[in-house]
Order: sequence, then structure tokens, then C-alpha cells
Amino acid sequence: MSAARPLGRPTRLHRGLSSTAPGLLLGAVLLLTLGLPVGLFLVVAVSPRLFSQGTSWLTGAGFVGAIRGGALPGLVNSMSVSAVAACGSLAVGLALAWFTSRSTLWGRRLWPLLVWAVLLAPSYLIALGWEQLLANHGSFWEMGLRLPWLSSLFFGPVGVVFIYILKGVPFAYLATSLAMSALGGEFEDAARIHGAGRWGAWRVLLPMIAPAIWSALAVVFAETISDFGVAYTLAASSKFQLATYTLFGAVDNFPSQFPVAAAVGWLLILAVGIALVLQSRALRGRLYGSLSGRTRAPSRVSLRPFGQAAGLALVAGYFLLSLGVPALGAVAGSLLKPATRGFAIAGLTLGYYQALLHDGAPLTPLAYSAEIAAVVATLVGLVAVPVAMYLTRSQGGLASKAVDLLLLGTVALPGIVLGAGYIFVYNLPELNAIGIRLYGTTALLGMAYFAGALPTAARVLVGPVAQVDRSPVVAARVHGSGALGSIRHALVPVVSRSVLWAWILTFTGVMFELPVSQLLYPPGSPTLSVAITRALGLDFYGPGTAMSVVSVAFALLVVTTVLLLYRWLTPRGWRQVGLTR
Amino acid sequence: MRPQEGRPQAALELVVEARRLTKNYQRNQVLRGVDLTVSRGSFLVLLGPSGSGKTTLLRCIAGTERLTSGTLSIGGREVAGPTSHLAPEKRQLSMVFQDYALWPHMTAAANVAFALRRLSVGHSERRRRALEMLERVGLGHLAEQYPTRLSGGQQQRVALARALVAGMPLLLCDEPLSSLDAHLREQIRVEIATLARDSGTTVIYITHDQQEAFALADQLAVIDQGRICQSASPEEVYWHPADPFVAQFTGVTGELRGVAVGPVRERLCRVRASTAELVATVVEQPLPGTAVSLLLRPESLSICSSERTDGILYGMVKDCAFHAGAYDHVVETAEGAQLVGVRSSARAGRGANVVIAVDPAGCLAFPLSSSPEPVADLTEVAQDEAPEPLPVAPPSPPPALDRHR
Repeated sequence: MSAARPLGRPTRLHRGLSSTAPGLLLGAVLLLTLGLPVGLFLVVAVSPRLFSQGTSWLTGAGFVGAIRGGALPGLVNSMSVSAVAACGSLAVGLALAWFTSRSTLWGRRLWPLLVWAVLLAPSYLIALGWEQLLANHGSFWEMGLRLPWLSSLFFGPVGVVFIYILKGVPFAYLATSLAMSALGGEFEDAARIHGAGRWGAWRVLLPMIAPAIWSALAVVFAETISDFGVAYTLAASSKFQLATYTLFGAVDNFPSQFPVAAAVGWLLILAVGIALVLQSRALRGRLYGSLSGRTRAPSRVSLRPFGQAAGLALVAGYFLLSLGVPALGAVAGSLLKPATRGFAIAGLTLGYYQALLHDGAPLTPLAYSAEIAAVVATLVGLVAVPVAMYLTRSQGGLASKAVDLLLLGTVALPGIVLGAGYIFVYNLPELNAIGIRLYGTTALLGMAYFAGALPTAARVLVGPVAQVDRSPVVAARVHGSGALGSIRHALVPVVSRSVLWAWILTFTGVMFELPVSQLLYPPGSPTLSVAITRALGLDFYGPGTAMSVVSVAFALLVVTTVLLLYRWLTPRGWRQVGLTR
Repeated sequence: MRPQEGRPQAALELVVEARRLTKNYQRNQVLRGVDLTVSRGSFLVLLGPSGSGKTTLLRCIAGTERLTSGTLSIGGREVAGPTSHLAPEKRQLSMVFQDYALWPHMTAAANVAFALRRLSVGHSERRRRALEMLERVGLGHLAEQYPTRLSGGQQQRVALARALVAGMPLLLCDEPLSSLDAHLREQIRVEIATLARDSGTTVIYITHDQQEAFALADQLAVIDQGRICQSASPEEVYWHPADPFVAQFTGVTGELRGVAVGPVRERLCRVRASTAELVATVVEQPLPGTAVSLLLRPESLSICSSERTDGILYGMVKDCAFHAGAYDHVVETAEGAQLVGVRSSARAGRGANVVIAVDPAGCLAFPLSSSPEPVADLTEVAQDEAPEPLPVAPPSPPPALDRHR
């Protein structure tokens, strides 16, 4: 009797293909949407002739041109502003994290929600809100409150750093608050019981959260140096050049100087890369497993009235500056009649809002951006889950390492470099010759949004997907579910909430996205961010700010509706996942 | 083991004195008027189930929690009271934590040396003493290793060295063995006991494991629902538990219901339980006719020959397991009670009828709280209180003990 091979047992070839095929497919998608546009764009810096952008096959002229053409001050400005912003954001973020996770500060459940609001708010809207208040003929000026010294201070490096500190705090907070909450109370108790005082105990604890501190510094630095929103608005109007604006100018001016833009792209990526490498070196061997192990929840420091007041002043003050003042600036700008002298009810008008709703045309960019954002967010939500599954299930393989590296690299890739890559590659005559004519279309804009959002969404989902990898899915299979049934019963409930948040992050991110939109919006169809910045750039303060207010209200409405729908439509058990007692 | 008297408390100098300690977390009262005294050099074990308040009590003594009310003195000095709270670092104590709580960015030697800073000794002296202490716990060769490179047992030894190196008069241990594998527990337990006693340190040690508690304690305090139920020598707690909870928590093998018949002598009472009449140990003599609960210690039960007629229970073997060189039987008695862990050197097969001899020392009677008043008709009560008897025939002829598995 010959031994029968078990049914369905895969052959080596089958196993090889089944493990490689998803990686290849994913690799192809990432190559087309990310690798190719960015890679080819960067190559043009050293080989302009390859794409008919110059006469040399291999040259450093792009870098020389970039430095002589004024890119160096922009880069120096960007690096110094980012370094200062990283330190400032860390100080505020660390204090915020301590107050919300280790003290009895009032409203400590509200503050983390507001942190997310600042995180989702585009940097250019925060900057423009402040500009509305402090500019000559801005809202303060119109109301008779003239502060020239404050205006001159704000429209310059100080104002730019200030906005970047406000915008960087959520990154610093998210990086450090987790470590601070995970730092079990017994470490502090052990230090105090063995002789250290309250401050002495913190001297022991600080090195334990050093990895989080380094991460916060690196992330804020990378986010700040990659930012285009403030560079395009406040910094540009203050004549304070930043590297991302230099790159934009090289692409946007006629004739485009792609080799110079690519050289600046290289330098930006290099700066971000150095920050991340330094972070990685600082973290080496210092990710303490015990921090996330079986640890007792830390006790909260009971704040006395003075401590409460100081804490509230810091925390509420931060949110007032980062959300309240910009919102006030936008609302005030949208309600004040031009040339109002002093604050009076008579000086207020709803005319800008009436014009928006009556005409409808100014709302077209909002509808256009919302539509693309919804489609892209849904696509990203659908694709990010298998990508996250691939990353968690094939760790160690060469293909998965390559995909992981590409995704990690793209998270830190400045949006302006991605946009420049798309504009360069999809405008190449060679692509037109083979029938790929995407330049200037909504499809290309959507592709770029997708490429920019996918890495972050996949990173967000890796954690939840890893939770179900694999026992609950296997348990569902063992207890009678098919392949699809096991995904429906074991995977979807666990990852649904994270997919929802990935959707919200992508939707709001795409809706207000600026750098890619500015470079790739189809002629005649400006996106929301382009329309807002253009209106405010042309000194149409009233219509521009009214559009900002309506857009933010619309985005909040969508987010609230989606969250409520999730609450109403999903089984109760889905919403218990991840909750603690 | 037989009952022994504990050491006279008055003869020993007082180190820790807790008076009416309470601790509330919002509306939840975790400690409810705890009174406790610990003598110098003694090893007190606080034994209690999860949520009984033992960790909170330890943390109040350590100073990492503030008392809601009551007073606490250490070495004659009030460290916590209605208006005072001395910081943990000023209480002259050290602690071994359940999850070690070693600082991961410090080497083993640095972790141990940290505890010497409070003594204001120089760096080199701190290091010398830390290395010496690590040698004593058998980890001298791992002094420069970081905690993440050490096994659980090694980490707990480092934590023990850190707690002992400064020679603080009071050592607190917060379930230090519960994170360790079974084979390591015994080893580390012996090390804790030896090192702590050698150094003359007073120890307050909390655990939910009764074996661990009896193995370590000079003084054993059983805690439940925020109250100390009994504080005495381990022997006293074991043989004369103050209440049914203490008896249950320190190990019983089964429970019967019965009715007190009358005293035999001091602390011994005759109890009728359905078909059986047993002699039981009591805290106070109950009035004849009082309904009682009989809690049986495992050591008090043994399978005997059918010729014995006094102090026996009839039962049927439900299960049998070979354990530590003998056989543990699960027996269902004629009264319907299930007795677990009835040991015998011979194996009785499943379904075999057996006679179980009950030693009065491990047969503990407590009046049932639901019927405090004595009842006139003993027979009626016995039938009412006792569960439905099983159809177990008295073993005649003697049970055939199966010596072969």
C-alpha cells in the first residue's frame, strides 16, 4: 500500500508562491504609487540627461544649483526651526503627558481628545488663523486692537517656530504619554522606598522613558522639516524661506527646475533620515521589555489647588493657543465687515457665509475634496488591512523587510517630495507615449493621496492586526468557520475600530492636504486647501475664512456621523475590544 | 503536626504597630480598621485571597499609599496618622516587589548600589557592598548584566539583594514568588527566609499561597475583606483557626453539617453528622443542639479498616490519583459531602466503599451563623441540615484495597 499524500497539502512551489505572491503584488502597488515616482524624481538630481532635463548623465550640478540658488538658507532655516520646535514641543508635550497620565488634573479625559483635534488640524489653518488676527488689517487691527510689535514678532522666525511648536505637541504627547502611562508605579515606588525623594525618583525614571523622549524629538523634527503648510503660508508671507517652499518654487516656477528640486528633495530626505537614524541609535538596546510587562498602574499625584491651577493654565493655555486662537481668528475674519473700526455688533456680517451658500460655487472645492477624501480613505482602509496582515505574518522575509522599509521610509517622506515626484514622472513624454496620460487628472491626484496615506494607515493597523495573529482566527477555523467566516468573526471585530480611525485620519488628512494638492490639482478644479490658501493669499479674508470655518465644521460633522454610525450599527462586542476594566 | 503555643508577644520589642487603619478608594473601603503588631526580628506573613486588602496594607506601611484613618508607627515613631504622612524614603525600610521593579537602565550592581545612597556612603564603598551582597545571593558573576538579560529568578535575587544591602530594619515583601516558575519558588523562598533571618531584619511578607505562608511565618495574619481575621503563630492558626474563613483559607479537604451533642473536654466537642458521630475541635463550646459546620483538614483523614466504629465516616471513592508516593482519594461520604485528598498508602479503586477515620485535631467545628439558637430535637436538625444521604452501604466485609493501578 502506498502512502497517500494528505489532501490539500501544499507543494514546495505552491508554498513558495503563496508566500511570495501577496508580497509581489503589494510590492508592485507600492512601486507604482511610491517607489517609481519618488525614485525617478530623485535620480534626476544626479542624472538629468536620463529624463531630458540636462546634458549630463552623472553630475552634482543640481546640488550646486540648489545651494547657489538659495536652497541653503532654506535648508538651514528648516533645520534650525525644526530643532527648536522639537525641543519646545517636547517640553509642552511631556508636561501635558504628565498631567494627563500621572496626575489628578481636572478634565484629564477631555485633553487627549483635544490633542487629536490639534493633530488633525492642518498646520496652514492654524497659521492662517493666527495670521487673521495679527496681520495688518487683520481682525485685531479691524477691531482697533493694534499690536505692531506682536505682528512683527509673529511674521518672522519666532512666529514660524511658535506655530511649529503648537503643531508638534501632539506628536510629542503621543510619543511620551504611552511610555509614561506604561511606566509601572512600582518603579517609582521602588526608588522612593529605597531612599530617593520625589525628584530623585524622577531622576531614576527619566532614563526609562528616554526612548520615548528621543522618539518624540525625532518625530517632531521630521514632521516639522517635512511640513509645507506653514512654509507656504506664514513663512512665505514673512519672507522666511523654508526648504519645502524652495522645492515647491523650483517645480512650480516656469521653467521648472527639476534637478534643483530633486536636490532639495535629497537634502530634505537626508535631514529626516539623519534624525531617524540618530533616534534608532539612541534607542538601540533600550526598549525595555519590562515597561510593557505585568506592571501595576501608576498612582496619580493628587494635585492641590495651586497644582490644579498651574496644570490647567498650562494645558488649557496650550489648547487655547493651538485651537482657540486660530478658530477665533478664522471666525472673526469670516464675520467682520471690511474696514470695521472697533468691535461692534454693527461691524459683524453673515454676508460671507450667505455668499457661500447662495452662490454655491465657492463650495465646489469643498465637495470635490470631500469626494476624493472619502474614496481614498475607503480604498486605504481596504488595502491597509491586508498590508498590515502581510507585515505581521511574514516578518523576517526579505520581501516583507523591503515592504516594511519602504512603508517606514514613506511615512517620513515629505509630502512635497511625493508631489514633485508625481508631477515629474507622470508628465514624462515616455509615459504619454505608451498611453499613460494621467497628468492633470483627478485619478493622479487620488493616486498620490493614496500613496501618501497608505503607509501611515498600515502602521496604525499593524498593532491591532498583530493581536489577532493568529490564534483567534485559527480558533474560529478550528471551531467550524471557513476562511472568510473566520475573518468575519475573528478579524473584523478586532480591527474594525482601528480601521475606522484609519479612515478618519485619512479622510481628514486628504481633505485638507496641501503640498500634493498644490502641485497636482487638475486645472480648473482646485482642491479645498488650494482654494482656501489662494483666497487668503489674494487678501479675500472674508470668503477665505468663511470657507475654512465651513470646511472644518463639515469635516467635524463627517467624523461625528461616522463615529455615531459605527456606534449604532456595530454589535456591542465590537466596541469592547481593547477596553480595560 | 500538633498545636503549639506561639512566642509571648510582650517579651519582644515592638517594631510595627497599626491601630484601626482604614483606607478608602472613593466609596470602596479596602481596609476596615486593621490592628496589627509586628515584633522586632519576626517574620510576619499576611495571608489572604486576591482583593482582601493585603497589598494595600503593605503599601500603607511602605508609605506609597496614604491612610484614610488610623495610626501607624514604625520603631516607636508615628509615620502615618490623621494629619501626618512620612514619605516612603524616610521610613527606613526596603521592599521586594512582585514583578521585581528593577530599573532596566541600571546594571544589577547599580540597582543594588542605589539602595545604599541613603546611607551617604561613597561610590566605591557602595559598589563594594553591592558586589558583596550580589555574591551572597549567588549573582556576583552577573553584577554587570542588565535586568533584561537575567532570568526571573535572577532578577528576584537582585531585588532581594537591593532590599537587604542597606540593612534597613524592616523588609516588606509583596508576593515576591508569584511571578516565578514553580521550581524556582522553593529555592528563592529559602533564600529570602535565610537571608532575612541571618540579617535580623523584621519582615512583613504578603502572599495568597498558604503553603508559602506556613513555610515562612513566625507570625501569620490572615486577612479578608480588609480585616485581620486572626494573627497568631502558624501552628495556632492551623490547629485553632478563629473562624470558618481562616480554616477554609488555610486548607480544608471537605465540609459536613452536623449538630453539637456536648463537650468531650476543653476545646473538644462531640458532633453528630447524619449517620456519623465525630469529635471535633472548637473555639468555644457550643450549646448542645447548635447546628455546626465541620471543616476537615486533609491530615485528619485516613482510610482505615472497617473494624473501627468510633470517629469514622463511610464513603465511596469517586477518584484516585497517585501523588508524592501515596494515593489521594476523592471520597463522597454517606452524608453527601465530597472529601478531596484523602491520603492512603494503598490505592482504593473507583466505586470502592471505604471507612475514613477522622482525627479530632483536624476536625474543626464552627456554629452555623444561620442558626445560632440551639435546637431541641437533634435528630430533626441533623436530618434538616445534612444533605441527602447517598445510598452508600456500610463496608462489610472490609474494602478491598487495590494495590495495583
